[in-house]
Amino acid sequence: MLGWVSAQWPWWVTGPGVGLCVVALYGLINARLGVSGAWLATIAPVEGWRPEPWRRGFLLALVGGSAVAAVLGPPVTVHGYGRLSEVLPPVLLVPVLLLVGVALGYGSRWAGGCTSGHGMSGCAAGSPDSFAMTITFFAVAVVVTLALHALTGGAL
Amino acid sequence: MSRGFRWSALVVGAVFGFLLTVSGLGDYFTIHDGLLLKNPYIFLMMASAMAVAFAGLAVLRRLGRTRFAGRLVLPHHRIERRHLYGGVVFGLGFGVGATCPGMTIVMTTTGGLYGLVVLVGLLGGLWLRGWVERRQQLPLSTEPTVASIPLPVAPQH
Repeated sequence: MLGWVSAQWPWWVTGPGVGLCVVALYGLINARLGVSGAWLATIAPVEGWRPEPWRRGFLLALVGGSAVAAVLGPPVTVHGYGRLSEVLPPVLLVPVLLLVGVALGYGSRWAGGCTSGHGMSGCAAGSPDSFAMTITFFAVAVVVTLALHALTGGAL
Repeated sequence: MSRGFRWSALVVGAVFGFLLTVSGLGDYFTIHDGLLLKNPYIFLMMASAMAVAFAGLAVLRRLGRTRFAGRLVLPHHRIERRHLYGGVVFGLGFGVGATCPGMTIVMTTTGGLYGLVVLVGLLGGLWLRGWVERRQQLPLSTEPTVASIPLPVAPQH
Protein backbone atom coordinates (compact mmCIF):
# COMPACT_ATOMS: atom_id res chain seq x y z
CA MET A 1 0.00 0.00 0.00
CA LEU A 2 2.79 2.40 0.98
CA GLY A 3 5.13 1.12 -1.70
CA TRP A 4 8.06 0.87 0.70
CA VAL A 5 8.92 -2.69 -0.26
CA SER A 6 8.73 -4.33 -3.67
CA ALA A 7 6.09 -6.88 -4.64
CA GLN A 8 8.61 -9.63 -5.20
CA TRP A 9 11.88 -9.93 -3.36
CA PRO A 10 14.51 -12.15 -5.01
CA TRP A 11 14.14 -15.89 -4.37
CA TRP A 12 17.56 -16.02 -2.73
CA VAL A 13 16.19 -13.80 0.04
CA THR A 14 12.71 -15.26 0.48
CA GLY A 15 13.65 -18.93 0.04
CA PRO A 16 16.41 -18.99 2.68
CA GLY A 17 14.19 -16.76 4.84
CA VAL A 18 11.32 -19.24 4.97
CA GLY A 19 13.87 -22.03 5.39
CA LEU A 20 15.08 -20.27 8.54
CA CYS A 21 11.47 -20.02 9.74
CA VAL A 22 11.24 -23.80 9.45
CA VAL A 23 14.47 -24.27 11.41
CA ALA A 24 13.39 -21.72 14.03
CA LEU A 25 10.09 -23.44 14.73
CA TYR A 26 11.79 -26.82 15.13
CA GLY A 27 14.57 -25.37 17.25
CA LEU A 28 12.36 -23.26 19.49
CA ILE A 29 9.26 -25.36 20.08
CA ASN A 30 9.97 -28.67 18.33
CA ALA A 31 7.13 -28.15 15.88
CA ARG A 32 6.76 -28.73 12.17
CA LEU A 33 5.80 -25.48 10.47
CA GLY A 34 2.63 -26.12 8.48
CA VAL A 35 -0.25 -23.98 7.32
CA SER A 36 -2.84 -26.69 6.63
CA GLY A 37 -2.36 -27.86 10.22
CA ALA A 38 -3.05 -24.33 11.38
CA TRP A 39 -6.27 -24.19 9.36
CA LEU A 40 -7.22 -27.63 10.64
CA ALA A 41 -6.88 -26.34 14.21
CA THR A 42 -9.59 -23.78 13.46
CA ILE A 43 -12.17 -26.52 12.79
CA ALA A 44 -11.03 -28.67 15.72
CA PRO A 45 -13.83 -27.37 18.02
CA VAL A 46 -16.42 -28.51 15.45
CA GLU A 47 -14.91 -32.00 15.56
CA GLY A 48 -14.44 -32.04 19.31
CA TRP A 49 -10.66 -32.32 19.73
CA ARG A 50 -7.93 -30.01 20.98
CA PRO A 51 -5.18 -28.88 18.62
CA GLU A 52 -1.64 -28.12 19.76
CA PRO A 53 -1.86 -24.84 21.67
CA TRP A 54 0.44 -22.79 19.42
CA ARG A 55 -1.49 -23.28 16.20
CA ARG A 56 -4.10 -20.56 16.44
CA GLY A 57 -1.59 -17.92 17.48
CA PHE A 58 0.66 -19.00 14.64
CA LEU A 59 -2.14 -18.64 12.10
CA LEU A 60 -3.19 -15.23 13.39
CA ALA A 61 0.43 -14.05 13.35
CA LEU A 62 0.83 -15.36 9.82
CA VAL A 63 -2.19 -13.36 8.66
CA GLY A 64 -0.85 -10.34 10.56
CA GLY A 65 2.64 -10.62 9.05
CA SER A 66 1.11 -10.93 5.61
CA ALA A 67 -1.08 -7.87 6.24
CA VAL A 68 1.97 -5.85 7.33
CA ALA A 69 3.76 -6.84 4.13
CA ALA A 70 0.68 -5.83 2.12
CA VAL A 71 0.60 -2.43 3.84
CA LEU A 72 4.32 -1.83 3.22
CA GLY A 73 4.17 -3.18 -0.34
CA PRO A 74 2.81 -1.76 -3.59
CA PRO A 75 -0.74 -0.33 -3.68
CA VAL A 76 -3.32 -3.02 -2.93
CA THR A 77 -6.16 -3.17 -5.42
CA VAL A 78 -9.05 -5.57 -5.30
CA HIS A 79 -8.50 -7.79 -8.29
CA GLY A 80 -9.77 -10.96 -9.94
CA TYR A 81 -8.26 -14.41 -10.13
CA GLY A 82 -5.62 -14.22 -12.85
CA ARG A 83 -6.33 -16.16 -16.02
CA LEU A 84 -9.20 -18.02 -14.36
CA SER A 85 -11.28 -14.87 -14.00
CA GLU A 86 -10.49 -13.91 -17.61
CA VAL A 87 -11.85 -17.24 -18.82
CA LEU A 88 -14.71 -17.91 -16.39
CA PRO A 89 -17.62 -15.61 -15.47
CA PRO A 90 -18.04 -15.14 -11.70
CA VAL A 91 -20.99 -17.53 -11.63
CA LEU A 92 -18.65 -20.34 -12.74
CA LEU A 93 -15.49 -19.03 -11.10
CA VAL A 94 -16.91 -19.22 -7.58
CA PRO A 95 -17.85 -22.92 -7.71
CA VAL A 96 -14.54 -23.77 -9.39
CA LEU A 97 -12.62 -21.95 -6.65
CA LEU A 98 -14.69 -23.67 -3.97
CA LEU A 99 -13.70 -27.01 -5.51
CA VAL A 100 -10.07 -25.89 -5.66
CA GLY A 101 -10.27 -25.17 -1.95
CA VAL A 102 -11.96 -28.49 -1.21
CA ALA A 103 -9.19 -30.34 -3.10
CA LEU A 104 -6.51 -28.45 -1.16
CA GLY A 105 -8.18 -29.11 2.18
CA TYR A 106 -9.15 -32.72 1.53
CA GLY A 107 -5.78 -33.59 -0.02
CA SER A 108 -3.69 -31.95 2.67
CA ARG A 109 -5.55 -33.67 5.48
CA TRP A 110 -5.41 -37.00 3.70
CA ALA A 111 -1.65 -36.64 3.14
CA GLY A 112 -1.00 -35.03 6.51
CA GLY A 113 0.42 -31.72 5.32
CA CYS A 114 0.73 -29.22 2.50
CA THR A 115 3.40 -27.17 0.74
CA SER A 116 4.84 -25.96 4.05
CA GLY A 117 4.34 -28.95 6.36
CA HIS A 118 5.45 -31.64 3.94
CA GLY A 119 7.04 -29.60 1.14
CA MET A 120 9.45 -27.57 3.22
CA SER A 121 9.48 -28.76 6.82
CA GLY A 122 9.06 -32.49 6.28
CA CYS A 123 11.44 -32.68 3.31
CA ALA A 124 14.08 -30.65 5.15
CA ALA A 125 13.86 -33.16 8.00
CA GLY A 126 14.41 -35.95 5.47
CA SER A 127 11.06 -37.64 6.07
CA PRO A 128 10.23 -40.10 3.25
CA ASP A 129 6.46 -39.45 3.38
CA SER A 130 7.09 -35.74 2.79
CA PHE A 131 9.28 -36.38 -0.26
CA ALA A 132 6.61 -38.69 -1.71
CA MET A 133 3.79 -36.22 -1.10
CA THR A 134 5.71 -33.21 -2.38
CA ILE A 135 6.89 -34.87 -5.58
CA THR A 136 3.37 -36.18 -6.20
CA PHE A 137 1.58 -32.88 -5.78
CA PHE A 138 4.11 -30.82 -7.73
CA ALA A 139 4.05 -33.35 -10.59
CA VAL A 140 0.25 -33.43 -10.66
CA ALA A 141 0.05 -29.63 -10.51
CA VAL A 142 2.48 -29.21 -13.42
CA VAL A 143 0.68 -31.83 -15.53
CA VAL A 144 -2.74 -30.31 -14.78
CA THR A 145 -1.52 -26.81 -15.58
CA LEU A 146 0.16 -27.84 -18.83
CA ALA A 147 -2.91 -29.92 -19.82
CA LEU A 148 -5.35 -27.06 -19.17
CA HIS A 149 -3.02 -24.71 -21.05
CA ALA A 150 -3.02 -27.04 -24.07
CA LEU A 151 -6.75 -27.83 -23.92
CA THR A 152 -7.77 -24.16 -23.74
CA GLY A 153 -5.43 -23.15 -26.56
CA GLY A 154 -3.27 -21.14 -24.18
CA ALA A 155 -6.14 -19.27 -22.54
CA LEU A 156 -5.32 -20.78 -19.14
CA MET B 1 2.49 -23.03 27.38
CA SER B 2 5.35 -20.78 28.49
CA ARG B 3 5.69 -17.21 27.31
CA GLY B 4 8.73 -18.14 25.25
CA PHE B 5 6.84 -21.00 23.61
CA ARG B 6 3.89 -18.76 22.77
CA TRP B 7 6.03 -15.93 21.42
CA SER B 8 8.10 -18.31 19.31
CA ALA B 9 5.01 -19.39 17.38
CA LEU B 10 3.83 -15.80 17.01
CA VAL B 11 7.15 -14.39 15.78
CA VAL B 12 7.87 -17.24 13.38
CA GLY B 13 4.29 -17.07 12.08
CA ALA B 14 4.52 -13.34 11.46
CA VAL B 15 7.91 -13.54 9.72
CA PHE B 16 6.69 -16.48 7.64
CA GLY B 17 3.54 -14.58 6.59
CA PHE B 18 5.61 -11.52 5.74
CA LEU B 19 8.07 -13.50 3.62
CA LEU B 20 5.35 -15.41 1.74
CA THR B 21 3.79 -12.07 0.88
CA VAL B 22 6.93 -10.30 -0.33
CA SER B 23 7.64 -13.41 -2.43
CA GLY B 24 4.65 -12.46 -4.55
CA LEU B 25 3.10 -15.87 -3.96
CA GLY B 26 -0.32 -14.28 -3.65
CA ASP B 27 -0.12 -13.40 -7.33
CA TYR B 28 -1.79 -16.03 -9.50
CA PHE B 29 0.79 -15.56 -12.25
CA THR B 30 3.80 -16.22 -10.01
CA ILE B 31 2.48 -19.72 -9.37
CA HIS B 32 0.79 -20.28 -12.72
CA ASP B 33 3.88 -19.37 -14.75
CA GLY B 34 5.92 -21.54 -12.42
CA LEU B 35 3.68 -24.55 -13.05
CA LEU B 36 3.83 -23.82 -16.79
CA LEU B 37 7.60 -24.11 -16.33
CA LYS B 38 8.04 -20.56 -17.64
CA ASN B 39 9.19 -18.91 -14.40
CA PRO B 40 11.57 -20.74 -12.06
CA TYR B 41 10.90 -18.47 -9.03
CA ILE B 42 8.77 -20.90 -7.01
CA PHE B 43 11.14 -23.80 -7.63
CA LEU B 44 14.23 -21.77 -6.74
CA MET B 45 12.52 -20.42 -3.64
CA MET B 46 11.39 -23.89 -2.58
CA ALA B 47 14.77 -25.48 -3.26
CA SER B 48 16.72 -22.78 -1.43
CA ALA B 49 14.30 -22.96 1.51
CA MET B 50 14.81 -26.71 1.70
CA ALA B 51 18.59 -26.39 1.42
CA VAL B 52 18.82 -23.79 4.17
CA ALA B 53 16.40 -25.70 6.40
CA PHE B 54 18.33 -28.91 5.78
CA ALA B 55 21.59 -27.22 6.82
CA GLY B 56 19.94 -25.60 9.83
CA LEU B 57 18.47 -28.90 10.95
CA ALA B 58 21.90 -30.51 10.74
CA VAL B 59 23.04 -27.99 13.35
CA LEU B 60 19.91 -28.56 15.46
CA ARG B 61 20.43 -32.32 15.34
CA ARG B 62 23.88 -31.83 16.84
CA LEU B 63 22.40 -29.75 19.63
CA GLY B 64 19.72 -32.38 20.09
CA ARG B 65 17.42 -30.15 22.06
CA THR B 66 15.01 -27.30 21.51
CA ARG B 67 14.78 -24.00 23.35
CA PHE B 68 11.29 -24.35 24.82
CA ALA B 69 10.15 -27.92 24.19
CA GLY B 70 12.81 -30.29 25.42
CA ARG B 71 14.45 -32.90 23.24
CA LEU B 72 14.40 -32.36 19.48
CA VAL B 73 12.27 -34.90 17.62
CA LEU B 74 12.13 -34.45 13.87
CA PRO B 75 9.38 -36.10 11.79
CA HIS B 76 10.33 -39.30 10.04
CA HIS B 77 7.56 -41.41 8.58
CA ARG B 78 7.46 -44.11 5.98
CA ILE B 79 5.49 -43.60 2.79
CA GLU B 80 1.88 -44.75 2.87
CA ARG B 81 -0.77 -44.72 0.16
CA ARG B 82 -2.50 -41.74 1.74
CA HIS B 83 0.53 -39.55 1.04
CA LEU B 84 0.22 -40.30 -2.66
CA TYR B 85 -3.59 -40.11 -2.85
CA GLY B 86 -3.63 -36.94 -0.81
CA GLY B 87 -0.81 -35.55 -2.93
CA VAL B 88 -2.79 -36.17 -6.12
CA VAL B 89 -5.92 -34.46 -4.77
CA PHE B 90 -3.87 -31.57 -3.40
CA GLY B 91 -1.99 -31.29 -6.70
CA LEU B 92 -5.29 -30.97 -8.60
CA GLY B 93 -6.25 -28.01 -6.43
CA PHE B 94 -2.75 -26.54 -6.65
CA GLY B 95 -2.69 -26.85 -10.45
CA VAL B 96 -6.16 -25.48 -11.19
CA GLY B 97 -6.12 -22.75 -8.55
CA ALA B 98 -2.40 -21.88 -8.56
CA THR B 99 -2.57 -21.53 -4.80
CA CYS B 100 -2.15 -23.46 -1.56
CA PRO B 101 -3.27 -23.07 2.07
CA GLY B 102 -0.60 -20.45 2.85
CA MET B 103 -0.74 -18.58 -0.44
CA THR B 104 -4.51 -18.21 -0.11
CA ILE B 105 -3.90 -15.94 2.88
CA VAL B 106 -1.37 -13.88 0.94
CA MET B 107 -3.69 -13.63 -2.04
CA THR B 108 -6.45 -12.26 0.19
CA THR B 109 -4.33 -9.69 2.05
CA THR B 110 -2.98 -8.33 -1.24
CA GLY B 111 -6.47 -7.73 -2.65
CA GLY B 112 -7.31 -11.04 -4.31
CA LEU B 113 -10.57 -11.39 -2.47
CA TYR B 114 -11.50 -14.56 -4.37
CA GLY B 115 -8.94 -16.08 -2.01
CA LEU B 116 -11.72 -16.03 0.57
CA VAL B 117 -13.77 -18.36 -1.64
CA VAL B 118 -10.82 -20.78 -1.83
CA LEU B 119 -10.52 -20.51 1.93
CA VAL B 120 -14.14 -21.50 2.48
CA GLY B 121 -13.56 -24.51 0.23
CA LEU B 122 -10.34 -25.33 2.08
CA LEU B 123 -12.06 -25.45 5.45
CA GLY B 124 -14.85 -27.50 3.88
CA GLY B 125 -12.31 -29.92 2.39
CA LEU B 126 -10.53 -30.38 5.71
CA TRP B 127 -13.86 -31.06 7.38
CA LEU B 128 -14.97 -33.39 4.58
CA ARG B 129 -11.86 -35.54 4.97
CA GLY B 130 -12.61 -35.84 8.69
CA TRP B 131 -16.19 -36.83 7.88
CA VAL B 132 -15.00 -39.55 5.48
CA GLU B 133 -12.51 -40.83 8.04
CA ARG B 134 -15.27 -41.16 10.61
CA ARG B 135 -17.53 -42.89 8.08
CA GLN B 136 -14.78 -45.38 7.26
CA GLN B 137 -14.07 -45.79 10.98
CA LEU B 138 -10.48 -44.68 10.49
CA PRO B 139 -8.65 -42.80 13.23
CA LEU B 140 -9.40 -39.10 12.78
CA SER B 141 -6.32 -37.28 11.50
CA THR B 142 -6.00 -34.39 13.89
CA GLU B 143 -2.47 -33.07 14.03
CA PRO B 144 -0.95 -33.46 10.57
CA THR B 145 2.46 -32.81 12.06
CA VAL B 146 2.15 -35.90 14.27
CA ALA B 147 5.58 -35.89 15.82
CA SER B 148 6.67 -39.36 16.82
CA ILE B 149 6.14 -38.46 20.46
CA PRO B 150 3.80 -35.85 21.96
CA LEU B 151 5.30 -32.42 22.53
CA PRO B 152 6.59 -32.21 26.09
CA VAL B 153 4.68 -29.75 28.21
CA ALA B 154 6.76 -26.59 28.52
CA PRO B 155 7.25 -25.35 32.09
CA GLN B 156 5.15 -22.37 33.14
CA HIS B 157 7.01 -19.21 34.05
